[in-house]
Parts: sequence; C-alpha cells; structure tokens
Amino acid sequence: MTRLVDAARVIRSKNAGPLHLTLDLMFSDLASFELALQSPSLTPASVARLYGVAQDTVEVIPFAAAQAIKIVLLRPIVAGGFGDADVYGAQQHRPLLDVVL
Amino acid sequence: MSTTARLLDRRPKEGEPLRILAASGQLGYGIPETALRAGLARRPHAIGCDMGSIDIGPAYLGSGQLSTSEATTLRDLRLVLRGAREVDVPLLIGSAGSAGAEPHLSRTLEYVDRIAREDGKTLRVAVVHANIDRAWLRGMVAAKRTRPIGPGLPELDDETITQATHIVGQMGTEAFLRALALSPDVVIAGRACDTAIFAAIPALLGYPMGPAMHMAKIIECTSICCIPGGRDAMLGTLEGESFTLESMNPVRAATPLSVAAHSLYEQADPHVVHEPEGTLDVRTACFEAIDERRTRVSGATWTEAAQKTIKLEGATRIGERAVLLAGSCDPRVIANREAILAGVREQVMEILPGDDYHLIFRVYGTGATSLFSVKPPALVDEVFFLGECIANDADRAKAVVATAKQYLLHHGFAGRLSTGGNIAFPFTPPEISAGTAYRYSIYHLTECDDLAAAFPTELVMLGA
Repeated sequence: MTRLVDAARVIRSKNAGPLHLTLDLMFSDLASFELALQSPSLTPASVARLYGVAQDTVEVIPFAAAQAIKIVLLRPIVAGGFGDADVYGAQQHRPLLDVVL
Repeated sequence: MSTTARLLDRRPKEGEPLRILAASGQLGYGIPETALRAGLARRPHAIGCDMGSIDIGPAYLGSGQLSTSEATTLRDLRLVLRGAREVDVPLLIGSAGSAGAEPHLSRTLEYVDRIAREDGKTLRVAVVHANIDRAWLRGMVAAKRTRPIGPGLPELDDETITQATHIVGQMGTEAFLRALALSPDVVIAGRACDTAIFAAIPALLGYPMGPAMHMAKIIECTSICCIPGGRDAMLGTLEGESFTLESMNPVRAATPLSVAAHSLYEQADPHVVHEPEGTLDVRTACFEAIDERRTRVSGATWTEAAQKTIKLEGATRIGERAVLLAGSCDPRVIANREAILAGVREQVMEILPGDDYHLIFRVYGTGATSLFSVKPPALVDEVFFLGECIANDADRAKAVVATAKQYLLHHGFAGRLSTGGNIAFPFTPPEISAGTAYRYSIYHLTECDDLAAAFPTELVMLGA
C-alpha cells in the first residue's frame, strides 16, 4: 500500500486561466510514476468522487517527459468572483494528500 | 541608432547562438539583482521581462491599478533599463502594469519616462496597445466568431462588452515584430502572451520557431523551471534547432526533468501551447543534461494557424466590498457556528432590509479554503471568521458588516457561557472597506483577421 504523498515529489494545484484548475503530480522515479498511472485511485472517476464533481468534467493527462500526471478540473467559481476562496487556486490539492495508490 | 538597429547590425552569424536573458517573470515584485548582474555579464543579445498575468485576479484589470507598488516597480524598471543600456541591447516588456490595459500601459510609460529623465537619457520606446476595440468585438460576436474558453462563462454579448471596465487581448509575437520594426531601444507592450516577449527577437533574426517558442515558454517564468525553483534571471541560448537553459543563480539547476515539468505549469494541456499565430507542440521534445545545472532541449514543433485568434480578458465591477475580521477559540461558538451565523444574517436582514447587498461568511479552520465539496478537516480549537459584503455603495457595505460584527459578537445561543463576546478582534476597526470589487466577465477567444489592427503600435521618445 503506497500513499501518494510518499510516491510523489510534487503535489500542487494552480489555476490554468480563471476557469480551470490544474493539479500536478510529479514523481522522482519512473517506478512511482508508473504505479500512479495504473492506480485505480487516480482515474477520472476516482478523482471526481474525491472532489465531489461530475466525472465528465475531470481530465487526467499523463506527461511522461516529466514523469508527471496532470489533472484538470473546472473551477466551481470563476477566479476572483464573489464567493471565491482561492483566487490563485494554489490550495486545492489537499484531498490528494490522503490518496492511497 | 537604436539598440534594435545595433542588434540587427551585429546579429549572430549563421550557426552562432542567440542569448536571451529573462530578467523577470513578474516585474515589480523585486528582481533578484545578483542573478540579473550575472546574466548581463553573459552578454545577452536581448533582455525580456514579463510584467503581468491573469492569475492575480480581476481587481487590477477592472480598476486600472497596478498590482505592484510604485517603489518596487520603479526599482525593477531601473534595474532592467540600466542593465539593457549597459550591455546595449533591446529590452522587451510585456503585459505592462500587471494587467496590460491602457491605464497600466500609461503608468508604466510614465515610470520609464521618469527613469530616463533621472538618467539624462532619451529612449526610443515602441508601444503596443492591447485594449480591444469594442465596436470591432461586437461585430465578431454578431458574426459568431467568439467563444468562451471554458463552461464557467456564457457566450459574449453586447451587455457584457459594454459593462466591462477594460477589455484586453493577449498579443503574440507578431505584435512585437511590428514594434521592433520601429527600431526601438525598448518595447513596452500591453497585455501579451508571456512567450511573445521572449520569442520576438529569435523570430526577428530568423531562428526556427519551434525551439524559439519552446524556449520562450520555459524562460518566461525565469528560474521557476529549476530545482530549487526561484525568481532569478534565466539565460536561454538558442543554437538553432536546440536551446540551452541555465539559471543565473548557481544554486538553481535546470535538469531535464525540472525543465520538462515546467510544461505543466499553469497550463491545462501540457502537450500544446496555443498562441495567436499558431500552436507549439512539445510532445516530440527531447531534454538532455549538459551538466548538473544546464539542460539542452530540442524537437518541439510550431504550426502556423490558418485562422488567427486572440484570447480576450475583461473585468466588470460587481460593487463595493467591506470585510469583517474576527477569531474565536470558544468551543461552543465553534460548535454552534452555523446556527450563530444564520441568526446573525437574520438580524442583519431585519435591521438593513433589501436585496441590494450580499453577505457571506468564511469560517477558517472548518474547510473555508476549499472550492470543492470535499471531506471537511477535523474540528479545530480556533477559527477565523471572515465576513464579506458586496453592496452598491461603500457605506451600505460597511453598514452591513458593522451590523454583522455587533450581532456576531453578542449573538445568544443555547449553552452559551461567554456572554462577554463570541469573537476576538485583532484590531479595531475590525470592519474594513476594501474598495471596488470586480469579476472576470470575459475570458473568451475571438477569431481575428487583422492582428495589426487589433494591437496598434506607436513609437514615442521618452526621457530627456
């Protein structure tokens, strides 16, 4: 049982424009990257459950050149709009810290 | 003779490398000077600075204000203007004044003029405007040639275009090339693609666009592509079909992995980068270590777009904001927070009836940071109440949070022991007018058949 926090070198979130949020997972070795790639915990369906959003709004994109996985979500509120809680989107990675691969 | 003219005179010969120094990824927050000096010592052919972003939120685009302080902005501008003069090369600045609309551009030009006067110099400055003509945009909407970039915003309409305080477009390399054709010492551009600032000189000198654009995409954030990442100047050396990256701070290493990983940064798609004039595809890129701190990159491809497009950004005023700041460490207040806040809201509505304002509370310590309905954190011993009101005028907003403050302080609830007050104020007044509030109302793509008309250039002489 490997926890994502132990396998990943970087687990971060940030806006990609004001309408999208991107979560980047970077791994320091190929084995961890591949373990994460095939993990049932990081499928669009699992990520959708984790964030409480519809599955068809979640994209999971492997990026082999950087041994990284990108997850793209829609922001529930346009960045900086009334009721926003994270204008830069830099603190939305928290649920990923509990993921077991 | 301008720095651009001299660069063209002594351009690198066929097969010789071109050095571009990325001095800042966000000018105005304090450029690290030691690394900048180290970069100047490498005799770059041009210096580029990015000065803005959409990430900083809608307030700056909406209000026309800079996000950076005057003192630090002047400091950074002095460093790069004097640095570029020292090594006698063109300086290119994009997204002037944080958001790159007309007021931001004018303020930046005013600063550049002030510094040139301090130095007793005259500068040829090519200016590129990024404000989008509203009549033209209405025409594009009517022709159904615009679309939202994501489902968070509706299709553009006349009302949205009218209400936005400023609308800018992100200009591309094409606009910088027209600016450079005016033979300037310095280019100051309104809202621009980060890449365009750094790809323009390679494009002017005829270097292949695939590697040039890829290099620009990586160095636009200076040393963020390194391990450890930082804000120090970054040197990109374009050899032709490949380029080499090196941080100007010796503690930062550009490794194949750290450089490749930068393609992920603030991008929804790590594989392709869309620019007004075409698309960069980095899927075929190769990253190889030269030594522990330098990486050589090759293989990215550039495809010209048949239809040019512009990414539009616009912000609209939503009202005046006032906030309330208070904390609590009373376990009964924390446990009853939802009922207390509902009660406070009712009392505020009774005293200040009307639908002309919005009042919300964020209770930090209970999951207020999350944008999603995720598992809430374990209950903590201390919480922070952030009250926020948006109303049509500042007095009304202030009245709402002041009333909320008083009723939150003294709200009675079952089992209450702390009748002296439910909350602690870190200072008074704890209710603060926070100025005009804006939202992004435009983040759309428009087709464009004439980029030169969309982003007009002019040459101005600044300084003594």
